[in-house]
Amino acid sequence: MTTLAPTPAGDRHSQADDVTADRADCQADSAGGLTFDIGDPGTPGPAHLVLRRRDSGHPAEEVRLPLTPAADGRLRAALPSSVRLAEGRWDVHVQHAGEESHRLAPGVNDLRSLVDRVPDGTGEQIAVRIPYATKHGNLTVRSWLRSPHAEAGEILISEASIDIRGRVYGTPLTPDAYAEAVSRTEPHRVQRSRVTVDGADFTVILHYGLLADAGPGRWNLWLRPAGESGPRVRIARLLDDVPDKKAIFTYPFVRSETRHGTVETGPYYTLDNDLSVHVRAAGPGKDS
Amino acid sequence: MHISFLIHNAYGIGGTIRTTYNLAGALAQQHDVEIVSVFRHRDEPVFTPAEGVRVRHLVDLREDTPGYEGDDPEHARRARTFPRAEGRYEQYSALTDRRIAGHLATLESDVVVGTRPGLNVHLALETRRGPVRVGQEHLTLDSHSSALRTRLRGVYPRLDALTTTTEADAGAYRRKMRLPGVHIQAVPNPVPEPGIEPADGSHKWVVAAGRLVPVKRYDLLIRAFDKVRAQRPDWRLRIYGGGKQKEALRALIDELGLYNHVYLMGPANPIEPEWAKGSIAAVTSSLESFGMTIVEAMRCGLPVVSTDCPHGPGEIIANGVDGRLVEVGNADAIAEGLLELINNDELRQQMAHAALEDSQRFDPARIAERYEAMFAALAGRGGGAGPGSRMRGSLHRARGALLGGAYAVRDAGRAALSKGRTA
Repeated sequence: MTTLAPTPAGDRHSQADDVTADRADCQADSAGGLTFDIGDPGTPGPAHLVLRRRDSGHPAEEVRLPLTPAADGRLRAALPSSVRLAEGRWDVHVQHAGEESHRLAPGVNDLRSLVDRVPDGTGEQIAVRIPYATKHGNLTVRSWLRSPHAEAGEILISEASIDIRGRVYGTPLTPDAYAEAVSRTEPHRVQRSRVTVDGADFTVILHYGLLADAGPGRWNLWLRPAGESGPRVRIARLLDDVPDKKAIFTYPFVRSETRHGTVETGPYYTLDNDLSVHVRAAGPGKDS
Repeated sequence: MHISFLIHNAYGIGGTIRTTYNLAGALAQQHDVEIVSVFRHRDEPVFTPAEGVRVRHLVDLREDTPGYEGDDPEHARRARTFPRAEGRYEQYSALTDRRIAGHLATLESDVVVGTRPGLNVHLALETRRGPVRVGQEHLTLDSHSSALRTRLRGVYPRLDALTTTTEADAGAYRRKMRLPGVHIQAVPNPVPEPGIEPADGSHKWVVAAGRLVPVKRYDLLIRAFDKVRAQRPDWRLRIYGGGKQKEALRALIDELGLYNHVYLMGPANPIEPEWAKGSIAAVTSSLESFGMTIVEAMRCGLPVVSTDCPHGPGEIIANGVDGRLVEVGNADAIAEGLLELINNDELRQQMAHAALEDSQRFDPARIAERYEAMFAALAGRGGGAGPGSRMRGSLHRARGALLGGAYAVRDAGRAALSKGRTA
């Protein structure tokens, strides 16, 4: 028997409305649009889905979307990719006419069209919205808005280097391209890395020595697609259905001896799904 | 009919709880159904009961509420009726003994269904004359200690029926337990139609889901996927679930250099949308008492490559038709099974379609029909609450035995059919 956590709302075809009214089912389209379906409590007057950006100050930044009756007796709101949603976390509320708004809980998030998403290369801006359940069981939409954007793909770990493959959107990639590792705590410390270019696809070749020799610390990775004269683009992984990459896309760390002692170096995704490198002190001789 | 389920805790999360809610919901379309929970530790059940299903409790363990009974001295004394060899024994007490006995002595229902061995013991010993007594086995006979099996052998003859989730386990009960007059029948767990569109088979992902524990053999799946990658680096694997083996599996992924191909996704709830992101499901267990994930994946339109382990997979998957059964414990065989479906789009789509169709037999409505037929037949032969009820012992044996004969014919027919399909 499976020991997976079961569907909290049970069989949704047989649920009473008072339960489903508080849950939203979300469906994503491959262009970055979302629809939200909730139960209709039958309250007269217009209802809205309200997205409020977390920590955006007072008054809160908010997006109101009309909820309209859908074919199956539920209410539906659409968030097309054309509606701008600033980068951040947007808590999802419902507000019925004449009532206070309240948070919605996640129902079924059907995000299959976000898996291995390949946006068309001409797009000016990369808009990503991933609905997810917070640790308190509420529904929130994580939004990213990047222009241009450097999407990280496969990362190859070898003894000599970390090779990051990716693709650039929204700006040309030229033979002058290179990458920068910028110290998280001392941003004036910048290490350059070579980049190979194939159309819009790039590979950053990041040698360990460069960062490891500087001792323990964290480095943010940026791409300079057109060299010094062009834009600076944060390397990130955004184009799929996984809201938090940090715990899922993980990579081995490589040990090296430096004048700071033994360190381990490896790539990781930050809480914003940006790509960084961590150099950390290693305990004495685990396998070397 | 009035049907009453007795369950350990209807307010929590777990396979038996979900199964019971699904079955109760389907039965409630036609019948009066209640779920009686021995314990209650929170105000609302995690699963929302379907319309018409009543849920109540016998012992209140909601801390910091006026009704809290966890500090009742009677609850500190050991249980006598609930068997000591049962896995949940420590949670039961003199208080649960008394409450359950009181409940069963005053039952108004036509049928009472127990959902674990310890509760089945209560049912067998303490149900008042009248209601049909049905014990469910959600695990398997061989998963019980010999002490528990001995206890069950002594008490289970007083049940009218015992249900298992597989034919294999029903066979084990018939062979090893000798329960004269008790109707033993395999009824699989119900799995509802998912509330989303089935997978369209276009994503190059294999999906697995379950606790990260040794019996699931995810180490084998990861090794098998190393072979898959060698041939088809464009396909990748997601494993959903949490558990103690996570770090070991992570280390194996890194050791094999599979970190761009195999991902440990953590627990997912609900799981259906995650199945829908894949095109093939993988089960590599050394043991599955039923194989609920297999049915779940099939209901989402995924063909399943599964080890042919005891007890469930072989009864769920029609090998080569709606999925693939491969040798237990053999990474090469698992890789071969996966590659067969990865390399043949047409076969994969065919099997996906068959999986969707064949898994309809697990729909709660269909499973409820099987229970209904069984309940009706058992009730029709007995219902010993009347003046003749002193005769219950022998009568009740007869009703189980007669029914057993009738079902045996049907079961034989089904077995022949499934043999034909798997050949």
